[in-house]
Amino acid sequence: MSRFLPNRTACGQTRREFLWQAGGGFAGLALADIMATEAVAASSDSEKQPHFPAKAKHCIFLFMNGGPSQVDTFDHKPALAKYDGQSYSGDVEVGSNSRPIGHLMKSPFEFQKHGQSGLEISNLFPHLAQHADDLCVIRSMHSDTAAHASGCLQMNTGSIFIGKPCLGSWLSYGLGTENENLPSFVVMTDPRGGPIGSASNWSAGYMPASHQGTLFRSGGTPLLNLATPEGTTERTQRQSLDLLKSLNEEHLQTRSGDSELLARIESYELAYRMQSEALDVVDLDKTDVATREMYGLDQPLTADFGRKCLITKRLIQNGVRFIQLYSGGGHQEDTWDGHSDCITNHKTHAGETDKPIAALIADLKRSGLWEDTLLVWGGEFGRTPTSEGVDKPGRDHDWHGFSMWIAGAGVKGGQAIGATDELGFKAVEDRCHVSDLHATILHLMGIDHTRLSYPHQGLNQRLTGVEERHIIQKALT
Amino acid sequence: MNHPIILSCTLLSAVLLFPLMVLGVDYEKEIKPLLLERCVVCHGSGKQEGDLRLDAGSLILESVVVPGEIEQSELISRVVSLDEDSRMPPEGARLSERQIELLRSWIDDGAIVPKDEVIPRPPSEHWSFQPIRQSAIPKVKDKTWGRNEIDAFVLAKLESEGFSTQPQASQNDLLRRVYLDLIGLPPSIKEQSDFSKSGDLDRVITDLLSRPEYGERWARHWLDVVRYADSNGYERDAEKPFVWRYRDYVINALNNDKPFDRFVLEQLAGDELPDRSVETQIATGFLRLGHWDDEPADPLADRYDQLDDIVSTTGQAFLGLTIGCARCHDHKFEPLSSSDYYSLVAVFNPLERPRKGRTEQTVTVDDTEIYAWREPSAKAPPTHILKRGSPTNLGDRVEPAVPAILVHKQPSFPEPSSTTTQRRLGLAQWMVSDSNPLTARVIVNRVWQQHFGQGLVNTANDFGIMGAPPSDPELLDWLAHWFMHDANWSMKKLHTLILESRTWRMVKSQESMMRYRRLEVEAIRDSMLFVSGQLNRKQFGPAMKPRIPVAVLEANSDKEKIWQASDEREASRRSIYVFIKRGLIVPMFETLDLADTVSSCPQRQITTVATQALSLFNGEFTQRQARYFAAKLRDEVGEDSQKQVQLAWQTALCREPTSIELKQMTEFLENESLEELCRVILNLNEFVYPE
Repeated sequence: MSRFLPNRTACGQTRREFLWQAGGGFAGLALADIMATEAVAASSDSEKQPHFPAKAKHCIFLFMNGGPSQVDTFDHKPALAKYDGQSYSGDVEVGSNSRPIGHLMKSPFEFQKHGQSGLEISNLFPHLAQHADDLCVIRSMHSDTAAHASGCLQMNTGSIFIGKPCLGSWLSYGLGTENENLPSFVVMTDPRGGPIGSASNWSAGYMPASHQGTLFRSGGTPLLNLATPEGTTERTQRQSLDLLKSLNEEHLQTRSGDSELLARIESYELAYRMQSEALDVVDLDKTDVATREMYGLDQPLTADFGRKCLITKRLIQNGVRFIQLYSGGGHQEDTWDGHSDCITNHKTHAGETDKPIAALIADLKRSGLWEDTLLVWGGEFGRTPTSEGVDKPGRDHDWHGFSMWIAGAGVKGGQAIGATDELGFKAVEDRCHVSDLHATILHLMGIDHTRLSYPHQGLNQRLTGVEERHIIQKALT
Repeated sequence: MNHPIILSCTLLSAVLLFPLMVLGVDYEKEIKPLLLERCVVCHGSGKQEGDLRLDAGSLILESVVVPGEIEQSELISRVVSLDEDSRMPPEGARLSERQIELLRSWIDDGAIVPKDEVIPRPPSEHWSFQPIRQSAIPKVKDKTWGRNEIDAFVLAKLESEGFSTQPQASQNDLLRRVYLDLIGLPPSIKEQSDFSKSGDLDRVITDLLSRPEYGERWARHWLDVVRYADSNGYERDAEKPFVWRYRDYVINALNNDKPFDRFVLEQLAGDELPDRSVETQIATGFLRLGHWDDEPADPLADRYDQLDDIVSTTGQAFLGLTIGCARCHDHKFEPLSSSDYYSLVAVFNPLERPRKGRTEQTVTVDDTEIYAWREPSAKAPPTHILKRGSPTNLGDRVEPAVPAILVHKQPSFPEPSSTTTQRRLGLAQWMVSDSNPLTARVIVNRVWQQHFGQGLVNTANDFGIMGAPPSDPELLDWLAHWFMHDANWSMKKLHTLILESRTWRMVKSQESMMRYRRLEVEAIRDSMLFVSGQLNRKQFGPAMKPRIPVAVLEANSDKEKIWQASDEREASRRSIYVFIKRGLIVPMFETLDLADTVSSCPQRQITTVATQALSLFNGEFTQRQARYFAAKLRDEVGEDSQKQVQLAWQTALCREPTSIELKQMTEFLENESLEELCRVILNLNEFVYPE
């Protein structure tokens, strides 16, 4: 035994805990296994035990990048029709970045009651509306910022500042990975670009890099550097890996006590297995025609998001813990950020995603995955019930009140929780902060948000921060 | 096993309590953390409100708990009290029903506490807050082993504990070790052969410390500590103009062996020094390296967030204290109060960020554009404690001061000059004075950590009560004292002392003080460039941008404009010159555990995951270097595969291959290309885990 056994590492953990965390994420199985005999929170596989029995094993976050308008989607405001064209004189701070403020603007979209529950959904989502009884709409969301960058950060990390771990990182850290051949936290961005703030939105922040989100592409080579290099045959690739393994093992022989060296040898084999598994997931050639049609792969408008939704279902099937899909990318009208023409904007983005999301729900149910999977839909904030500038059908940012929905494992569907004021500006009933939503997601995944912490800079940091947060009890079954 | 407990609930009427099925409440797991969380801030070793301490079982039993007697235990009556004035805790939420029941059950079960529980000492007695002593050099039995004082401390401890020393690593291993350690590059074939003739490692150390590559290697370690990046983060993630001058300043400071005390003074107050120059003012860029949202959600809060970035980083980098935790309330675990925190805020509050709207501006000094803050006036704005950290909830006004726990008497801050408040100068002067017990210990430990893979204190940014205790406190103090008084804060002298010790020259193993530790991504990448013959030694100046795969650029909101890659020659410079964009880290760097770019990083994380294997085995960078490496080998030894293998091995690993290795590789070359072999070599564990 060594006399130099360290007491603590950089973050005040024992070395063993540190290594466990370092290896416990994405494909860190080898290291995790080595540590598992004494690891505190670890079982013998790379999955960790939740705090209590989880309702959901997987989570899909459908991120409507740019901020969908609540009054045009899930928060019907008849009063807006009444006051249409009038100027707003309420006390809610309207607009962002000194943009022009126009008049109150009614929704051009019709709302109807759907399903047995009679949940009101606008006609932007005819396909999703068929699953109305599964959706739990939260009409009283609010956040702390008017800007996209800090808004996206807050929705993903709970903080308006960069450098914090994302929801997916927390889940990877807290629950480990189910399938070491695939990343536990996958991100798929829009072909028009990523969200503002880019990789800060799937960063592991101060946690080890193994917990960061892995960019996954829906075609070609899904993961960076996954493909065997051009000009190298598969046989050569295997021969080279075999030689590497053999030389590394000889090197290890006289250094057999070192777990990091062994883990690194294993990581090359994991990478090799990942190659075949990840390629299988994106290979949709054998998908039947009915499924392709259901997801909208046959239509240019829905093909991209449909493909991602179908791959999402297959990733879930393969044990991926957290998947985030972005609808919209780049700036303004390429996202849900309908500053100049919210009507056309939302028709486009809802049109691209409505059918695929409905198909994903149906397919999850068909495959028996629905009971294990939590779906979250929404953007970084909502949009103002006023137009942006007179005679322009654009809407500005509204972070005081907006709508999101959750569905699936452990969620009581067919209901709307909370309310905004008469015109839809501000959440006034059952107010739900972004961090309350995070607490609820963690709860559904079997984690007590007050107990999942990571030591950093002298504090036990939490996804939900230091303020008191509340699980949205009404949303739970 | 205990029976379920039914509570006699006299004080909590109307509340329905379900009895807990309790199998004996565990003090360590259930009670102590609860008391620590809610009570010990006021009733602990730091503060003893009402002369009460709840931070050790024995103290609790002496005061507010009578085992088995819930009714007589004041602990219970105070937490359930309906009287607002006497109910504890006085702030925050009341204890939950479950928490109260835990306390009751524990008392009812006899309030069992561990016999060996240590009573925390008063924080003022904490080891790192004591003056640095010149420890006596211990006597050792074996007079032949040691080379210097470090060895004496290490050997004495080994002897007293009955352990033996580890053997010295081989000459080849030591040569590669010292090169990678000091300059982050392996030795060339010629350097290897020179050394095999002389065998003089001490001379090699002196030589390496005089090379420009030393500064380029070790500056990066400091950049980790000061959260260096080339951009601000957030939506625009704008480039920090001329911030690279700060990076060059650090490289030069190390290469010129600028005394560390002067290095501290310049970074905190280079514009307030009597002998200030362009260089010393570039150094204050340290204060402006943080992330910055040019479109903050709350501009007033943002101002304090920026000050917090400076105070937190300063606290960790120079003092090893997590002072940032005292922003909203007194530090829960450290003897640092909000007043300590805001007194430091008062030091930096006179600073202003030069900007025009969202666009940052530079400061011009003698025609040189500098990325630094500006202190526009010698009159300081008032600084108040912000209650609960809220910028609209002003508490008492504070003046500049250093954390009270560290000093018997506050140092006197200089009077304002005609141009600035001189507050930062006052802080910096105290930091490098004898009356500060921390700065020398903290830097000596950082240097030790880098050389050995782990520090004498394993929490390099946290020397507080929650930090790790030193494994060898006398050695640490001796080093710190020696560093200040004998070495005059010379980093090169400190390196030399450590590297000439036998302790540093031991073989690596689980039992040794020398641990295997993967090279940082910069050293891996630079070593590859060196081995392949492509390393561009151009020093200093604006950062360069290696190519980033399109697949990664596509995930950005500004995918066309976000990253204009440099040409290959420029991109083959050392990794310290790679542009660190907070929103888009070069993937190989990100995967291979680059330091956190947002807050001070005390030590690189080491993760081992499959995406690293993908990056290093399949990634374009390694592919290219493998091709160059193969071409270089062919140039030098032609087509003889045995010679190719031998040279490749010698170049990459500084040793000859064993016969088994040689056989495997020559057999491989019968069917596969030399390029493939080079790719394998660049991926070997031995390549990235130096002996």
